[in-house]
Amino acid sequence: MSLKTLSEFNWSVMTPEFIILGVIALLTLLDLFMPKRLDRRILGWLSIAGIFAAIVSVVSLLSVEPTSILHDTFTLDTFGKAFKLLLLAGAGLVMFLAVSYEAKDGMEDYRGEFYYLFLTALLGAMFMTSSSDLITLFIGLELLSISSYILAGIRKHNLKSNESAMKYVINGGISTAITLFGMSYVYGLSGTTNLGEIANTLSMVADGQQAYLLGLAFLMILVGLSFKLASAPFHMWAPDVYQGAPTPVTAFLSVVSKTAGFVIVIRILIAVFYNAAPSGEGGSILFRMHDYLAFLAAATMIIGNVVALKQTNIKRMFAYSSIAHAGYLLVALTTMSSNMIFSVWFYLLAYMLMNLGAFAVIQVITEKSGSTKIADFAGLYRRSPVLAVTMGILLVSLAGFPGTAGFIGKLNIFVGAFYGEPHYVLASIMIATTVVSYFYYFGVMTQMFFRPARDESKFNVPFGIIVVLIVAVVGSILFGIAPNIALDFLNNLQ
Amino acid sequence: MMENAWLIPLFPLLSFLILLLFGKRLKKASAYVGIIFTLASLIFSILVLFERFSEPTYMTKFEWLTIGDLHLTAGFEVNQLNALMLFIVSLVSFLVHTYSKGYMNGDERFPVFYAYLGLFTFAMLGLVLSPNLLQTYIFWELVGVGSFLLIGFYFNKEEAKAAAKKAFIMTRIGDVGLFIGMILLFWETKSFEYSEIFKAVDSGAVSGTMITLTAILIFIGAVGKSGQFPLHTWLPDAMEGPTPVSALIHAATMVAAGVYLVAALFPLFLASKTALLTIAVIGAFTAIFAASIGLVQTDIKRVLAYSTVSQLGYMMLALGSGGYVAGVFHLMTHAFFKALLFLAAGSVIHAVHTQNIEEMGGLWKKLKLTGPLFLIGTLAISGVPLLSGFFSKDEILIAAWEGGHPILFLLALIAAFMTAFYMFRLFFMVFTGEARSEMKHVHESPNNMTFPMILLGVLAIVAGYVNTPWFGSFFGDWLVDGNPALGHGHIEGPIWIMIAATVVSLLGIYVAYLMYFKRSLSRNWLSGTGDTLHTILLNKYYVDEFYQLTVIAFTKGFSYFLRFIDVFVVEGLVKGVVGIVQGLGKTGSKMQTGQVQTYGAVAFIGLALLAVIFALTGGYLR
Repeated sequence: MSLKTLSEFNWSVMTPEFIILGVIALLTLLDLFMPKRLDRRILGWLSIAGIFAAIVSVVSLLSVEPTSILHDTFTLDTFGKAFKLLLLAGAGLVMFLAVSYEAKDGMEDYRGEFYYLFLTALLGAMFMTSSSDLITLFIGLELLSISSYILAGIRKHNLKSNESAMKYVINGGISTAITLFGMSYVYGLSGTTNLGEIANTLSMVADGQQAYLLGLAFLMILVGLSFKLASAPFHMWAPDVYQGAPTPVTAFLSVVSKTAGFVIVIRILIAVFYNAAPSGEGGSILFRMHDYLAFLAAATMIIGNVVALKQTNIKRMFAYSSIAHAGYLLVALTTMSSNMIFSVWFYLLAYMLMNLGAFAVIQVITEKSGSTKIADFAGLYRRSPVLAVTMGILLVSLAGFPGTAGFIGKLNIFVGAFYGEPHYVLASIMIATTVVSYFYYFGVMTQMFFRPARDESKFNVPFGIIVVLIVAVVGSILFGIAPNIALDFLNNLQ
Repeated sequence: MMENAWLIPLFPLLSFLILLLFGKRLKKASAYVGIIFTLASLIFSILVLFERFSEPTYMTKFEWLTIGDLHLTAGFEVNQLNALMLFIVSLVSFLVHTYSKGYMNGDERFPVFYAYLGLFTFAMLGLVLSPNLLQTYIFWELVGVGSFLLIGFYFNKEEAKAAAKKAFIMTRIGDVGLFIGMILLFWETKSFEYSEIFKAVDSGAVSGTMITLTAILIFIGAVGKSGQFPLHTWLPDAMEGPTPVSALIHAATMVAAGVYLVAALFPLFLASKTALLTIAVIGAFTAIFAASIGLVQTDIKRVLAYSTVSQLGYMMLALGSGGYVAGVFHLMTHAFFKALLFLAAGSVIHAVHTQNIEEMGGLWKKLKLTGPLFLIGTLAISGVPLLSGFFSKDEILIAAWEGGHPILFLLALIAAFMTAFYMFRLFFMVFTGEARSEMKHVHESPNNMTFPMILLGVLAIVAGYVNTPWFGSFFGDWLVDGNPALGHGHIEGPIWIMIAATVVSLLGIYVAYLMYFKRSLSRNWLSGTGDTLHTILLNKYYVDEFYQLTVIAFTKGFSYFLRFIDVFVVEGLVKGVVGIVQGLGKTGSKMQTGQVQTYGAVAFIGLALLAVIFALTGGYLR
């Protein structure tokens, strides 16, 4: 590749990524040369500014036609734009949590790293939304994963945090191995790593044997990536890791990392397996394998919701709730309705708002009480009505009540399940498990509103948390009342 | 102004949110928040109502939700009925807000009470603005939630808790009917919007059976909310709630929602003779049935509760006989005089701290304002000439007669006699006779409680004059303007109906006078002449017992079989489901050993299992 071709690429489509990269470089240098005694919080605010600039640049790119650079390894298309905005917004809100997070347990000296590791993880996720090549997809995935491993263990002297990071690394390693093994089959069968070319090659698989291998590859990639989604059968790491990691990191894992997971799953499913159609009846591989997907979706919904009932630790409960939400999203993937991408995008948007808001409240409460028990929420309405009502709205949205974004998200997926061939079983499981979820969400409500408080002390809510809460509550209600705003936005994307 | 009507429900919502968040800090000032916001609603409603007098219906909608090729809309509509309901609801709500400041004074959860009132008012106002069934249904449910919270406000009292639950469940039974009817209509007409539904019904796109079926299903929803037989039992029990709540919920708003629903969907009901007849029969039966129970009740609020059920029956009878104007007219006058009666009853209870009328007496001299106001309400509901209830009841009787239901007309006339009787029985027992010695410290209620009653008292007298055979039927003409299908503003009826109604109500008052004031007639003539009848009435025709008894008889009839099903199948199923969920949860938690090897192994085994199934099924499951 000569310098000339390199300069001929339309690099401007990569502006958001460049901005994040630039901020990372800047923060590293600042962290290195700033005197030790200076508060590193300023770096957090710089990252927020950087993320905001990246959002602006994505918005300015909205009207750009789908463009491909670097020999089709980087594509900016509608899908990429929509999900990039989601990731940036999610990461921005997480940054607000991070700035308000109190450093202790050996984290004091790594405060600077705490911030820019979030950014490197975000950069990995952003690359995944735009990559159209298995290799860059994988690099993005690893950049995200490795940054998250360190983040989970950043409280060096905290045993739980160490345990969390350790478990995360080991399970992550296994999942990477499985995913790569599956990808190697795809490469072996198609002879290329470019998603577009893979689609072309595989659309005329004549051989039954090859189709068989593709089926195996599908299963391996799906199981490997279910690690990132925190869905069955690769969900078990989630509660332990969520519990031990610092709360902003937990929030990041449950929202941004999960969104990135769905990005890569959709990319691969659609590009590779949707197009791979062996001759003969039965349609594409994805269609033929969709019972497996349905099974995993059902298992994930059941496991997440049912086990959540038994939890006494709020972070573990939210880990299982996040597993459950991955299950609902998998229902959308299973049914593959024409509305699928919008359903997934909208659900992730709603989920981002309500979950990050909930984690903001959790962060305030757990920092005050020093533990993460659900019982710590007792009497919150007496201690701080505003926090209690805010949390109440977010819980109601998580449970999927009418008037909230969570309801519209579930409705989209539910209606989608009746497109084409109706999925009665899957839809009923979704309804039944949603009802089960009322119990644990309302368990927290009962604690907040009907239990006496152990102490009457008030809360100091930091500015960053206030920002997150306002965005979360306004968004949850706005998209619940006027969901067409989001739809119009997505339809107007080029 | 009408284009801003959507603001009207938002004021109480705002009040609800503010009180929920800051109620603890505001304490007693919460009342002012509630009062000011509902006053804003009231002012807007009055402006909207006056503008609607001269301008055509305003309606706006926007696409709310698109799922694939399914388009759902939301919006609001100000037609005559909606504008009128906005006014009634916001007026009564405002007055109840004001009244409660005195009545609920000193309650520990004072701000919470005002917050709930705000939520309920929001739901009710939202309901009457909805231009489509789906939106109506959402607010309908929200009204149910609001009433649940208000009825169960004293949740330390077991009865209140039970009553709240009963109200919620009984109305939910009706809601199921409404829901199914709504979905069926949607399948048939492809729309939730009222106008689209009427168009489809008009054009004959929906079969006659379907119209009857959906109309009756929707009416079942109205039966639940409006306390019609056989789903009426929740309403008297709901008297466990604070008295201002009874005035709000059981006079002007929630119970009127069922009548409103039938009126709003009137063109649909008109298309089915069977549905109309069903409504008329249920209405007339409920009217006389509840009135007869009211004859022997001894709890002041329960008498009023049964009279509400009975009066709602009148409205249903009117609608079922095709008397759209009569039904809506009575809805309005009833809202005023029944709210007045409830508030006055609250004032009495506030003064004497008991609800048992046997323990009251001679209060006329002590409650100088409440007494006359209660009398006004009593005269109005009894249908004494020149008060509002007289005109609207007359319209209903005419509608029933002209609608061709002589038997139902007769039932309604008897019910009118009973109404006059039991209402004056109540009045004489509470306000005349010997004053009890223990009631020495009785004093009149504070101004913020008497002011709403005075206003309602005035309305209870004059509200009828908007639609009379003598001064013109302005109200009725306006109500049906532009909608010839709804019938005439005023139905001409024979003059003897009016005379008969007057005679009957005066006769009722006279009998009550003889019995409870002059005491020249034995008070116990009922229990004396027919012990059984008295017991039956006292036990409200054993409907509650009937519900229990039938279940028991049913179980006995098929004793072993049902027992088997009950114990081994139903219970087993319930226990089984709970057990399975619990067990799964436990197993899931146990599997979470904390050992990272387990996690990896589970993932790996999962993958292996999938691969094995894949291999065994020859590659593809299907």
